Amino acid sequence: MPFFRVIRWVAWKDLISEIRSRETISSMFFFALIVILVFSFSFSMDQSETRELIAGIIWVAFAFTGIIGLGKSFSAELQNDCLEHLQISPASKGAIYLGKLAANLLFMLIVEIILFPMFVIFFNLDVVEQLPVLLLIFALATLGLSTVGTLFSAMTVQIRAREVMLPILLLPLAVPVMIAAVEATRGALNGSPIAMYGNWLQLLAVFDVVFTVMSFWVFEWILDS
Amino acid sequence: MIAIRGCDLGKSYGHYRVFDRLSVEVEEGQCYALFGPNGAGKTTLLRILATLSRPSTGRFEIAGHDGLTEKETVRGAMLFLAHGSYLYDELDAVENLRFALALRGLTLTDRQIKLALDRVAIGPFADLKTRYYSAGMKKRLTVAKAMLIRPKVLLLDEPYTSLDESGMRLMNQYLRDLAGEGAAVLMTTHDRVRSAEVAHRVGVLDKGRLQECSVEELKAHAIF
Repeated sequence: MPFFRVIRWVAWKDLISEIRSRETISSMFFFALIVILVFSFSFSMDQSETRELIAGIIWVAFAFTGIIGLGKSFSAELQNDCLEHLQISPASKGAIYLGKLAANLLFMLIVEIILFPMFVIFFNLDVVEQLPVLLLIFALATLGLSTVGTLFSAMTVQIRAREVMLPILLLPLAVPVMIAAVEATRGALNGSPIAMYGNWLQLLAVFDVVFTVMSFWVFEWILDS
Repeated sequence: MIAIRGCDLGKSYGHYRVFDRLSVEVEEGQCYALFGPNGAGKTTLLRILATLSRPSTGRFEIAGHDGLTEKETVRGAMLFLAHGSYLYDELDAVENLRFALALRGLTLTDRQIKLALDRVAIGPFADLKTRYYSAGMKKRLTVAKAMLIRPKVLLLDEPYTSLDESGMRLMNQYLRDLAGEGAAVLMTTHDRVRSAEVAHRVGVLDKGRLQECSVEELKAHAIF
């Protein structure tokens, strides 16, 4: 079907461009690495204190790393006026949005998967038993950040100060995702039963669905204006 | 049948009026060359017809569809070759073409794509990332894209820019073929000689007014 073909091609185009240039992934990775190093040397923590604070540190690193990638998602389209090409293509704008979202989600998850073992090493975390639920939390929260971030990346791409405007617009709206992600991650790292933080997972899932649907519908208007 | 119809089009940026009550019609199988000094509003007019910019006043139709209310249908019928190449630097020629075709729901065979690239003399560079292409090569690649898409309406903004002599001949051959197939072509240009070879009609946009003249007048350099 053309709709799914467009999603696949847009995601493929972004991924192949990134694999070849490695501009976004490398800047995301090095930023996150610096965050981890700074926090690991700043806090001298025992195991119990670490488990209380590490969830917040993880999501600060993941969120700001993600913003770097999200910011470049649409600014890369400015080269050779490719954004115009997307605007005047007869393809469904919703499909273009979902393709961009898929690529952004994948970039962020790749960086998170590379970075999380570093958190485990630097902060001496024992996460083997909680790994499946942690991966679920990462997937849900990262989808939430990418959903809103992809939309705001498109909204701010034509603004001169887009690098500043993207976090200013994105972070307030991403607060529910950040709080839910931190609470759920803390619960998982403390080894609490999933029922103790299940509400936060539900909030993440609801946020993902609501903002994916909403962004899908408003993207055409954003791209056209 | 009229393929491009602009009625009483106007465009203003704040208090600055680019043009007002401008009407233009291009029939199927016709090539219309639009001249005018820099800043006359030629590109603005093309961008309105390409659905990239909204007119301040007036309406327009592309291939019988309203440009303001049936944007997606208009975009499917029309192809706009602008100043920007619309190419992704990290993709090669074939990948760029496949992506552009996929956005229009088209799937073509490798052979068809290779033939189009050979026609525009880009075949030997098909595997090269377009970041290494010259401006002329990029322009040729956009011609290959147009050949594969075969639009009902083609809008071109200064199509001869960056092209060498053989590239210009190639562009004109393509425009003749496309018009021969019944498509309507509207181009802005400053190249009187090249455009006179393909244009059926000529218009001059100056000081907000569109005035038509003959191809003979164009050849004789008797316009503006």
